[in-house]
Amino acid sequence: MCGIVGYWEKSGSSDAPLGCTLLKMITALGCRGPDSTGVATYQSKRPGSWTVRVKIGDSGDLAARAAQISHAAAGAGAHDFSRVDAYLRFSLDQQQDPQPFLRDIESIAPDVEVVSLGSALEIVKQVGSPANLEKAFSISRFRGSHGIAHTRLSTESVVDLSHSQPFWAHGRPDLAIVHNGHITNYHQLRRRYEQHGVHFYTENDSEIVGIYLAERLHQGGGLEDALKRMLADLDGSYSCLAATESEFGFVRDPFALKPLCFTETSDFVAIATEEIAIRAALDGDYAVRETQAKEVRVWRR
Amino acid sequence: MAEIDAAGRTTREINSAIRAAMAAGSSEVVVRNPGARHNLGVALLEPVKLKMAGSVGYYCGGLNAGASIEVEGSAGWGLAESMMSGLVRVHSHAGSGAAAALRGGAVVIHGDAAARLGVSMKGGDVIVAGDCGYMAGFMAQKGTLIVCGNAGEAFADSMYSTICYVGGKIASLGTDAVLGEMQEGECERLDRTLETYLGSARPPAANFRKVVAGRKLWNFDKREWRIWQEAL
Repeated sequence: MCGIVGYWEKSGSSDAPLGCTLLKMITALGCRGPDSTGVATYQSKRPGSWTVRVKIGDSGDLAARAAQISHAAAGAGAHDFSRVDAYLRFSLDQQQDPQPFLRDIESIAPDVEVVSLGSALEIVKQVGSPANLEKAFSISRFRGSHGIAHTRLSTESVVDLSHSQPFWAHGRPDLAIVHNGHITNYHQLRRRYEQHGVHFYTENDSEIVGIYLAERLHQGGGLEDALKRMLADLDGSYSCLAATESEFGFVRDPFALKPLCFTETSDFVAIATEEIAIRAALDGDYAVRETQAKEVRVWRR
Repeated sequence: MAEIDAAGRTTREINSAIRAAMAAGSSEVVVRNPGARHNLGVALLEPVKLKMAGSVGYYCGGLNAGASIEVEGSAGWGLAESMMSGLVRVHSHAGSGAAAALRGGAVVIHGDAAARLGVSMKGGDVIVAGDCGYMAGFMAQKGTLIVCGNAGEAFADSMYSTICYVGGKIASLGTDAVLGEMQEGECERLDRTLETYLGSARPPAANFRKVVAGRKLWNFDKREWRIWQEAL
């Protein structure tokens, strides 16, 4: 089991109390995934600039490591550094391709990872409950237009920050996913990607969803097309949410093995593993429907 | 009539309060703020009328015998699972596995049903006013499954003696599911069943198609490879 949720403010206002809504939703699903919790929020877009969140490391002298990363990033033009817990956060002028910068930063040590990068996206995740995530990062104060979140019950890989979700699709600014289920052709697909030089950061099968969608988006076509193609190319059970700075949607596997329900009103779209998460966060008279097998829906602005 | 506010109480406390109200002689109980919580109103063996003033989570009405439950919102997975008798009516949508292993009574869903509706049902009536999802009626054994809207893929797969009626389109029939002929008087009986549960909002029974087991899977030789290949 895992719990996934998503919220999309239709007005597009980046001042919606997004963090508060996501926290209430994910807290209601805390019992589905006690291992780790994470949120990906989309805040007001900063044209020409990326916000970068870097995992400083797993252990050791993190202050020294943070200084080392800051020095390297400042050399590439990064500014506005701040540090919260295991994360270093800073701004970076947009570049043609983020990959050279990622390689520079992540070559500092094997446990350094750029957790998110984008003009609107920020991801915070860690081992532990939604309440602990709130305590460390005050996510209820985050404002933004849309976001996704995850509570994890690990079934196939280790429990640590990097293996937690949401996953940023490394290298594709602003694309993030959450996934509940198992991708059963993961090893086959991973071998194929690795032969093409794609770097995997974890042993978590969910990571491949972001890599797959990034590849599809790179080839053209929007998120809806990418999620529909996923039905043919990824095997197993998946209820999956994906978001970019301008799109937000879900896909449900052909056997409808993992739950996922949603509601759409004139003001918002809310999606969750269980309706209890939507009711816990959002008042009002609206109908919630479970998604059907192979159902794909995408909202955009 | 007794009223129970579910807000802030544990599932066990809510279900205990329902039973206490019944024991005190209430024949009607309203649960306020059910909040899509799981396991509400399960294993009730008395003919009480229970109203859920909102949505319920998983397994609402499961294992019941004789209770009548009305859900004003939606229901989650396993609605009325293994219900023996009584009625469960959901005014909005129902999640996967609604009426699974149903033994008797009726399950009425005014919205849509998700995947695996009425799988392995062994009796009773299932009526969906909207659409149903993937693999409805899989291995169903007895009873009647009625879908007024469209049915999803693999409809009525590997069934025994359940009789299905579909008012809309069928995305695909499951293994060994075939269209059946309406017998004399059957259309009238279907109309009476629809009237009983949906009243004047019912669609015309003449538009429904009947789906039954083709009986090829009831008895077959293990060397019949083609049947093995087609089944699953």
